[in-house]
Amino acid sequence: MKNEKIFQERRAKINDLRAKNERMTCRERGLMAVKHQEADRVPIDNWMVPEIKNKTQEYFGCDNYDELLDFLGVDFRNNYGPSYVGQSFKKHPDGTVEDLWGVKRKTVVYGKGTSHQGSYSEVAESPLEKRKTLEEIAKYDHWASPDWWDYSKVKADCIVYHPKYCVINVGDRLDRTSQLKPMMYLRGIQQIFVDMVMNPKIVEYIRDKIISYFVEYNHRVFKAVEGEIDIFMMGDDIGAQTGPLLSLDMWRKYFKKAFKTYIDIAHQYKIPVMYHTCGDVKQFIPDFIECGLDILQSLQPKATNMDIKKLKQEFGKDITFQGAMDIQHILPLGKPEDVKAMAKYALDSAKKGGGYIICTAHNIQIDTPLENVVALFEAYHEYGRY
Amino acid sequence: MDILKSIEEAVVNRDIAGAKTLTQKALDQKISPNDILNKGLIKGLETIGKLFEKQEIFVPELLMAGMAMTDALALLRPSMEKSDIPPVGKLVIGTVEGDVHDIGKNIVSMMFTGSGFKVTDLGINVSAQKFVDTVEKEKPDVLALSCLYTPTRLAMNDVIRLLREKNLRKKVKIIIGGAPIDQSYADMIGADGYAPDPPSGVRKVMGWLGK
Repeated sequence: MKNEKIFQERRAKINDLRAKNERMTCRERGLMAVKHQEADRVPIDNWMVPEIKNKTQEYFGCDNYDELLDFLGVDFRNNYGPSYVGQSFKKHPDGTVEDLWGVKRKTVVYGKGTSHQGSYSEVAESPLEKRKTLEEIAKYDHWASPDWWDYSKVKADCIVYHPKYCVINVGDRLDRTSQLKPMMYLRGIQQIFVDMVMNPKIVEYIRDKIISYFVEYNHRVFKAVEGEIDIFMMGDDIGAQTGPLLSLDMWRKYFKKAFKTYIDIAHQYKIPVMYHTCGDVKQFIPDFIECGLDILQSLQPKATNMDIKKLKQEFGKDITFQGAMDIQHILPLGKPEDVKAMAKYALDSAKKGGGYIICTAHNIQIDTPLENVVALFEAYHEYGRY
Repeated sequence: MDILKSIEEAVVNRDIAGAKTLTQKALDQKISPNDILNKGLIKGLETIGKLFEKQEIFVPELLMAGMAMTDALALLRPSMEKSDIPPVGKLVIGTVEGDVHDIGKNIVSMMFTGSGFKVTDLGINVSAQKFVDTVEKEKPDVLALSCLYTPTRLAMNDVIRLLREKNLRKKVKIIIGGAPIDQSYADMIGADGYAPDPPSGVRKVMGWLGK
């Protein structure tokens, strides 16, 4: 942490607020929220693209990301799971690299030559997209295997954060426990949607390969960590801006069963479960609750029906919410006072009785001005106190 | 039942084979391609749009309806050309530079095609220069820009800026769409409009063209 006066001044407000508010460890605070109990303040989670991490780190004079999280009062630390020890990912002459499922990926740069330049790893080719029949799909030989991972170090990776922080086993963005996402990568989004209507057998076949992998993988992870994971996170985007991507009936038909299986496995090891989806999924929430989901991440406030005040009123007793800070409009385009108003609204609406973890609805994107990031964290501490 | 009504229902029910068979049957009965389009396919799309807005159907169903419309339209096109019926309008579409998401863009593209537009789909990760060159060459009525991420929506500004520089901005209407887009963003960057979903995009553009 840099000690120059300028950094001390920049850090003063958050430091003062935290000194006033905080009376317990991050882990205690995080777990109390999930148990629907009021802690000293609302726990804070953080999602940022790397470029915003660097900018914010620099602004506050932090030497690395862990220091930044520590200073900002972020209560959760991510564990990315076991180490990959399978065959090295195949590189192709066209610059694409195969992922865990044998899906070719490429780095796509956005904002080339501007101050907001960044990149994402995107699907370049879905290997099952052109296969016409179940028989052809059954010949695919690159299904992921739980044997491709070394589980021996996960526990130690989690322990470094204990007892101070609350550890979330998040997995990697591209390989997080899910069902639909790898199906989209393998089969192509458009084709898998067509399959859901026209070719249920193909959907079920691909889905079952994915489920059997994650079931075994998660058992091995949970066994290996011996209680050192505080929250297990899975994720599958089933919501879009103006409604779910697919109907509740279709979700029930294809995905509900394993959604519950994944939760049950974590619960066997006494680990609460967080589920990430973007978008409007309001009509799915009663089913999520029925399956035993503990935390729904990450309420996207600009999506229809995802107003945190209403969701808290309707479902707040039965589920914990994470998110509700808008990265689509207010953070990139609003003023610091808009950001503060947004945080205050969410905290006023959802903090009562616990069951709320404040965070952005997704990564804070590169187009967000730094003063809005600063305002966001100041507001978390200003309005989050119980 | 009236065959045009049956075509409308085939679109609403996402019955790809049915929409095709009925369209062929209507053509065989010498019903004008214009009537098949306006009183059959486009009416079906209107209902699809309402069902989507009410969250009664979702992306897979929207996709299937789009496929039903494009397949039916492919049957209509030769007769439309033979009877000198011009396309309803010309549209150039693509996902802007830095963004490779195309499920929404593809459905929009299908629904415009199925509504009788001549559509030039430039695909994904399309540079501002490529959009502008295509507008210059094809002279479309409408340019449709799509994105998913907030940082990539900034690339929409670049397209509009470049069109202005080339004095082409006033020659083409611009509609934008995608998760992080709303009317205020369209106003901010000087697009003519925004649509929250594919059917309402078609409705908006039809309105612009006085159809």
